[in-house]
Amino acid sequence: MRGRGICAIALGALMGLAGIARGEQGVTGTTIEIGAFGPITGPAAYIGLGGRDGANLAIKEINAAGGVNGRKLVLHFEDDGHSPTKALAAVKKLVDEDHVFAIFCVAGSNGTIGSIDYVKESGRVMYVSFASAPGVTWPFARNLFRGGTTEVPRYGELYAEFIADRMQAQKIAIISGREEYPKNEGDALTKQLQSWFNITPVVRVEFNIGDKDFTSQLLQVQQAQPQAIAFFGNPAEAAIAMRQARELGLNQPFFVGVTMVDQNFIAAARQTAEGASGFALVPLLPGSDDATLKAWEAKWKLEYPNLPAGRPNIFDLLSYGDMYVLAEGLQRAGPDPTTDKLIAALEGIKDYRVSGIATPRTFTPKHHIGNLQLVAMQVKNGQWVPLGWEGKHPSDILKRYQ
Amino acid sequence: MMTWQTALQLAVSGLSVGSIYALVALALVIPFKASGVLNFAQGEMVTLGAYIGLVLSTSLPLPFLAVAVLTVIIAGAFGVLIERLFIRPIVAAPEFTLVIATFAIGLIIKAAIRLHWQDNTYPFDAPYAGPALAVGPLRVNPSYLVIIACLAALVGALVAFFRVTKFGKAMRAVAIDPRAARLMGIRVESIFMSAWALAAGIGAVAGLLLAPLIGINPEIGQLIVKALVAAVIGGFTSLGGAVAGGLLLGVLETFCGAFFGATLKNIVPFGILILLLLLKPQGLFGGSLQQRV
Repeated sequence: MRGRGICAIALGALMGLAGIARGEQGVTGTTIEIGAFGPITGPAAYIGLGGRDGANLAIKEINAAGGVNGRKLVLHFEDDGHSPTKALAAVKKLVDEDHVFAIFCVAGSNGTIGSIDYVKESGRVMYVSFASAPGVTWPFARNLFRGGTTEVPRYGELYAEFIADRMQAQKIAIISGREEYPKNEGDALTKQLQSWFNITPVVRVEFNIGDKDFTSQLLQVQQAQPQAIAFFGNPAEAAIAMRQARELGLNQPFFVGVTMVDQNFIAAARQTAEGASGFALVPLLPGSDDATLKAWEAKWKLEYPNLPAGRPNIFDLLSYGDMYVLAEGLQRAGPDPTTDKLIAALEGIKDYRVSGIATPRTFTPKHHIGNLQLVAMQVKNGQWVPLGWEGKHPSDILKRYQ
Repeated sequence: MMTWQTALQLAVSGLSVGSIYALVALALVIPFKASGVLNFAQGEMVTLGAYIGLVLSTSLPLPFLAVAVLTVIIAGAFGVLIERLFIRPIVAAPEFTLVIATFAIGLIIKAAIRLHWQDNTYPFDAPYAGPALAVGPLRVNPSYLVIIACLAALVGALVAFFRVTKFGKAMRAVAIDPRAARLMGIRVESIFMSAWALAAGIGAVAGLLLAPLIGINPEIGQLIVKALVAAVIGGFTSLGGAVAGGLLLGVLETFCGAFFGATLKNIVPFGILILLLLLKPQGLFGGSLQQRV
């Protein structure tokens, strides 16, 4: 009996040790291993390339300044090709083979949704920088955090109010991609227009990611005679669609989704971008005259010379700011970080930002959406400029988190 | 309810898209006719042409036309290199091996491009790009007119080349019977090499024409399946058939998009292709194969 008792105690101790070891996965005496994934190939590569490069720049600076509680951050990056299945494989590799401590997600919504269930199951902290897919933060999961973006239903509220109030449009056409993010944006706008303003879009047409001809969709839009056209997709697709729209004589104002409120959209669409409006996820966009941003851009270009017009993009900016937020959480988690300590530290972050180039991030035990601010913008003379418009309608979504 | 103006506008758009398919299909058919090799790297040759144009236009102060001519020449040289280094040593291998080899060549080209440029999109300007032209009730992008004109000029030049020039006739002879052609003193290896150079050059033309419309990234040449379908519709051994197949596919795809939406846009044309092949297995312009047994 006594022998059995000793065995039980030893087993319990081993299990306890295993538990601690599991909590400290990816943490060594000198490093903290972070796994990251996003699309760096394919039609959504502009998201992941920006995400990877912005995060790496932040890590280089953090490590140069001494790291986090004396440990250097090490980033393991995997390409998800903007595919849910590849994203799942990437996260499994990062967690099970690379044994990372936490995951930094710079994927689009399409990739992110593929990884969510597994991440919830694994218990690892996943800090999502860009994806607006509702599933990241609703229903609430303790180990999932969203940094630079907010939930897509909130986009729907702001878009609907802006189009109905500021653009004064009652007849609205929606052109949206069939993948997760643009479909969600189109759905959210449709729902909110109906719910708040009793407006049903006059037409909604869809396209496939990577499409290069939008004539058939635009002719359907033309027949519906809308007052405004909302376009949700990737900047390259929007640039082609807007050019073709003008060629077909569609001169209605365009409203575009958040991924297009960026210099890379203007670089692709050029003069046809003029007059387009949308919401920015960052207080300052690359290309603006602000001194802080200019200094950051100079630093970025020193690190990544010879990249095309349109880089750095908002994804460089968002992931740069969000990597600093994650590092701040790790710092606050103390010298012996565990997943629980990191979650508690992140939930204590209030109005933190690396500098004026990022929106302040706040997390609480009730909500893990770091940024609730969006800035209404319009393209004027080849630049996105703030309009100073703010939504007045009480938000149904934000009520959840109060 | 579709008006005739809408139908015409869709037809113009379909012909423009189809012209690009036709160009790539042409480039598939030429080496296939000459050497029997189906080149799955043809899409990447479009990409390669676009990047050669990008490098030339950003590093040398040359006018667009000079960039275009140089691009086609350099791409042709790449075609020769590929044939000499990768295809000729295994030309006697089974067809399946050759197809896989070309597939691998395509992957290597794309990976090499990604090593330097990654998947960033680079803008590429052309002097003919500008506001749409009004042609009666239609509006036509001048870039599309240039694409259609280039296709027509290229087809004309190829027809003349194969019918009038000695080298063109030699290529046709090799396509019909390489052994007999060799016995007649034709250097079959040179013909194979030239066919690859020609295919790479045509691919580069397609890349240069596409680039001002959609920008340059490693996926610009992702047209191989559509081009293959176009070539199959046309009969695979007929240059005119490849062009007709490309144009037909472009028009079908555009009208299907208008009638059935994005979901079925890519399905219906393939359904029609299968139906067509069931009725006419050799394609629209392919001759029936007769073998003496």
